Amino acid sequence: MTADVLVPTSADEAASLYGDGAGITVVGGGTILLPEIAVGRAKPERALMLHRAGLGTIEVAGDRVVIGAMAPISAVADVPDGALGQVARHLADGEIRRTATVGGNIAAAAAADAQRGDLGAPLIALGARVRSTGAGGERIEPIEEFLAGDRGRLVLDVQYDRFERRSGTAALRRRHAHSFSVAAVVACARPDGSDLRIGVSGVGPTAVRCRAVEQSRDAADVLSDVEPIDDAVASAAYRRAVLPKLVRDALDQLEPA
Amino acid sequence: MKLIVNGMELDVVSPPLTPLLHVLRDELDITSPKAGCQQGGCGTCTVLVDGEPRRSCLTAVATVDGAAITTVEGLGERDALSPVQAAFHRHYAAQCGFCTPGMVIAATALIERAGGPVERDDVLEALGGHYCRCTGYVKIIDAVMAASRGEVEEIEDVPVSVAGEPEVQPKGSPA
Amino acid sequence: MKAVGARLPRYDGVGHVTGRTQYVDDVRVGRNLWVKALRSPHHHASITSLDTGKAEQMKGVHAVVTHLDVPKNVYGHLEGLGVPADEPLLAEGDVRYKGQPIAAVAAESEAAAMAAVEAIEIRYEERPALFDIRQALDPDAPQIHQWGNVYPHYGPYNHRRVRKGDIDRAFDDADVIVEGVYRPQAIEQMPMETQVALVVPEASGRLTIYSCTQAMYFSMGVVAAHLQVPLNKLKFVGGTVGGGFGGKVDTASETICALLALKSRRPVKWRWTREEEFLASSTRAPWHIELADAVTKDGWILGRRTLTLHDSGAYARFSPYGLTKHAFHHSGAYTIPNLRFDGFVAFTNRVPTTAMRGFGVTSVSFAVETHLNRIAEVLGLDPWELRLKNANRIGDTSGNGVVLKDPSTVPVTLAAADRVGTELSASFRAMTPEPRTGDLLPAHLVAQQSLNGERA
Repeated sequence: MTADVLVPTSADEAASLYGDGAGITVVGGGTILLPEIAVGRAKPERALMLHRAGLGTIEVAGDRVVIGAMAPISAVADVPDGALGQVARHLADGEIRRTATVGGNIAAAAAADAQRGDLGAPLIALGARVRSTGAGGERIEPIEEFLAGDRGRLVLDVQYDRFERRSGTAALRRRHAHSFSVAAVVACARPDGSDLRIGVSGVGPTAVRCRAVEQSRDAADVLSDVEPIDDAVASAAYRRAVLPKLVRDALDQLEPA
Repeated sequence: MKLIVNGMELDVVSPPLTPLLHVLRDELDITSPKAGCQQGGCGTCTVLVDGEPRRSCLTAVATVDGAAITTVEGLGERDALSPVQAAFHRHYAAQCGFCTPGMVIAATALIERAGGPVERDDVLEALGGHYCRCTGYVKIIDAVMAASRGEVEEIEDVPVSVAGEPEVQPKGSPA
Repeated sequence: MKAVGARLPRYDGVGHVTGRTQYVDDVRVGRNLWVKALRSPHHHASITSLDTGKAEQMKGVHAVVTHLDVPKNVYGHLEGLGVPADEPLLAEGDVRYKGQPIAAVAAESEAAAMAAVEAIEIRYEERPALFDIRQALDPDAPQIHQWGNVYPHYGPYNHRRVRKGDIDRAFDDADVIVEGVYRPQAIEQMPMETQVALVVPEASGRLTIYSCTQAMYFSMGVVAAHLQVPLNKLKFVGGTVGGGFGGKVDTASETICALLALKSRRPVKWRWTREEEFLASSTRAPWHIELADAVTKDGWILGRRTLTLHDSGAYARFSPYGLTKHAFHHSGAYTIPNLRFDGFVAFTNRVPTTAMRGFGVTSVSFAVETHLNRIAEVLGLDPWELRLKNANRIGDTSGNGVVLKDPSTVPVTLAAADRVGTELSASFRAMTPEPRTGDLLPAHLVAQQSLNGERA
């Protein structure tokens, strides 16, 4: 490999080396990038490796959880409030979860014909905010806005507030490891039903927030929030057929037992 | 960079982004981890990094600088197989053998972590990312569970008749 | 016979569990070059220009080969069996499947080889592609093979034929005609070891070829034919194959590596990626099988009409042979006295297909057995009894007139029923493979019977 390799030893150094991202290939866990290099589709010229930048911690305070971008996905299996762990446990398999990172799952380049980023759904439902750096400096924004944006930024961490909430998760998956979800829905709300947030993944290039359903509480409205795609995992038609049922299921789980 | 491979400290000169798989295979000539897919999809490249099973094809070597790497060569040898290796052999858990190193590594880590007998579901969870196209998996699962129960059996070779004694009788169908 | 029935350890078991078993990619011969191929991005196209000059000059590149470097570019795997050659080792003038190899590079690293492949200058003119074998016989379909879209060399025919008895009479005599269409799809064998070849030019002028082929002597002949060298110039070293399942019977990687080894005078290794394996390695063929059975109310199968289309992909390879095996087995393990079978090997712009686990036979078995269940359903009969009644017995003859001396259909069916706990009536449970008599020998089965061992 003829790449120049940069290995920052602090978050500030990482941000400074990243600059506005031009000409930089970020190396997080490497689970997406290394296969692309192996077949010649990625040819990094300047590789920014984050494994020593101190971005791998998970802080659980009384009022919020902050997950560093380099936290391995295996580490979020047990973070409080459960919704994130419920989804994380089904990603890839145990060996890959130890290498893949939360930041990589969020920042994974959206592809028109393949969906990734299954963690997007629970993070949306948890009202998570992404702290990133890039052109214009550092900023914090709701994750659904980050996902819908241009994405050429370095993810530093993702955080969400802790409060009493119920969560419901409904996903349609193949019955084996390594399958991206056909579709996954995560809904969170306070016990009184307020602050309902719903995230859906598997239906398009990125996870999406379902504002129409949050308003109406009508599961069928999910189809006005998302535009499912055809890919190797499932057809758009099939996704359209199952999504309202998954949303209904997730919403039902929010009801008191 | 340094790696401690099967207990031996080695200097590594491959570039930092080189997958650990290729450092092991091509720089160090340790060939038990295989390049089955180079996408993390198959499990044939799995090694232990500081005791944890990881896909070596997805691990840039710089990220494991100084780590202890274990491959099957470090688990046991012909005349001193590890319990997992012996169980795989005893239970016919390998046919072409290409998936075997990865399976053995993952199973070894599972049993180490569990510290005792494991259930079928534990095996499915731990080995769930490993493909085998030959065996149909049943014997692999049997082998792992047997190893976790500490079942150690002799590996018998072809029975040999001794002059004057009756011909050794078949022991029944191997299936 | 002390080994038969004994529980013996695998001779290679210890090697497998200690990671010592050596596959081709594990062989070390000193520093080798790495190969990457230029593969067609199109399903069907003419190559209007090809220039490897820039690629040859790239850093780390030792050799680039195209069809111009192949002494005999078009060699047929089954020329010895009467199947003429149709497939180039490296594409010459046109490409007929996405992934078809056009050129190959040997360089100091895989990255250098990939960069050189990208520097090959090539221009294509796309042509209409054909994917649906049902259009193969349609004169308006795109013509994609020099033989036409259907293999024409089954003697005087463009299809494999089986004719037995009087099929029209059987269909007239039937109470019901049961039809079905069965379309088993392509399957990628997906061995855990991808295709890999390592070729070492020796000081003696011979080549040592480490190959993952399932058929060493066969591949030796293929390499010798393409290179136009005597067999004694090649030393093939096989060993443990990391799974083949039929997908490594038609490897071409050794031949291409051999060309690069000769040109570069260095050891050359080509290790396919998993993507390449899915894209460009041969698969089990898709099939289109139409069955129409003439049956009586009480469950006799009087006759069967079969139309099979076998999707050979872009070139013939072993498909004519696979279809022949399929034809042989199209009546299944059952005695059907009147048969009309027509099977076509059809070309499409897909990766050429090949063997996998019961080449040609698994497809027809799937169709036949499913069809029997369909017949049982239509007639309201028990599917086990339907099978036992029509099962091959001693002295019955197959579709090709082979006299059956020891058919196992009856005992196997009974054993299967027993294994799954299916209750059968006493008369069925008592059935044997002995020659048909009495109720098991209705008039329409007399003519096909051959009790003296000679063809009926």
